[in-house]
Amino acid sequence: MGLLTVLKKIKAKEKEMRLLMLGLDNAGKTTILKRINGEDISSISPTLGFNIKTLDHNGFKLNIWDVGGQKSIRSYWRNYFEQTDGLVWVVDSADRPDRLEDCRRELAELLKEERLAGASLLIFANKQDLPSALTRAQIAELLDLQSIKTHHWHIEACSAVTGDNLLKGMDWIVDDIAARIFMLE
Amino acid sequence: MTTPKHSSKLAPSASSKSDPTRRGSNGSDITADAVLKFNKPASKFLCPLRLNQYIQFLEFRIRDMENNNILFEVKRSSHDVHWVEPDIEVYDVANVVGPIDMRVDISRFDSRGDEVRTINYTFPKEFLDKKEIGTTLVFAVHPEPINEFRMIERHYFKDKLLKSFDFQFGFCIPNSVNTWESVYSLPKLDQKTRQEMIAIPGSTTSDSFYFVDGRLIMHNKATYTYV
Repeated sequence: MGLLTVLKKIKAKEKEMRLLMLGLDNAGKTTILKRINGEDISSISPTLGFNIKTLDHNGFKLNIWDVGGQKSIRSYWRNYFEQTDGLVWVVDSADRPDRLEDCRRELAELLKEERLAGASLLIFANKQDLPSALTRAQIAELLDLQSIKTHHWHIEACSAVTGDNLLKGMDWIVDDIAARIFMLE
Repeated sequence: MTTPKHSSKLAPSASSKSDPTRRGSNGSDITADAVLKFNKPASKFLCPLRLNQYIQFLEFRIRDMENNNILFEVKRSSHDVHWVEPDIEVYDVANVVGPIDMRVDISRFDSRGDEVRTINYTFPKEFLDKKEIGTTLVFAVHPEPINEFRMIERHYFKDKLLKSFDFQFGFCIPNSVNTWESVYSLPKLDQKTRQEMIAIPGSTTSDSFYFVDGRLIMHNKATYTYV
């Protein structure tokens, strides 16, 4: 299972890592989560709450929280900020312009959150398998990533359907968190 | 959804707090810290069934991480939940799927006594050799938010603790349906323990404790038989 190879890198002193996966509805958060865990992705319905994966390996624990992105649920996101080491922001790269504007605004709001201040930020420019998908550079520009000075960030163009670059992105965020925690000690 | 009428019913009564012989009957005096110190199976259920008006289980599944095979699955036919009489519907199991020799005793699920809180699993003995499994729990939350939801599960062989899980879900969204998969390696068993587990049906057990805002609201037991 792919994620385990990522997890093996976590050193003993970190013990537990918590990732929070957010983004607008239909961005593909749950599909990504299932895909990296080797699960069937053929029938996924909107998340009306959360999906959590706990991977416990050799005493190291990785918790990934995927919280639903529908507008009515977004106000609850803040209940999941506490103790987050990494934020995974998932974008539907083939979304409409007005939705991409919502996406930019929601991310900008999150980055102002005090409780997410120390978190590493991974952006998944998802749905690259669709012909109308914007490129990684276009998504980076739309989200104005260059202006982010408060967080370590990284953007990865990916496809939850083909699995392309998912582990590469997860690898980056786990490494970044591990390096940060290591430096604090 | 209608507004639940649980708040007044759930208020702890003063008498149960002052009377130590009633310890456990109310649930409010059993803390997570106390449960984490248990080193053998609880001799009785530590809270009444009616205390759980917060969550309902919809699905439970075990998969083998090596080949992704579903080892066991039980689920309700629908995710629609009615919160009027939740305690009876908790075990309204619609179907059980699994390899032919993997069984769960659901004949007792119709009963409304304590029997409904014990699940008896029968697994093929090869299950004991699995290296890594994933257990998935799907649950619905009542129409009001839950601030702190926590599960502690203690697994025993006879009176010896094998494994303990302690998971803090934290906040739960009102009317939500939530999924938690825990992927972990099974404890390595010595030959003697393995043989005894097979030889003595039901000698492997677990207690599951569920807390809402620090208060025990549900206690379930399971027994495991390997054939």
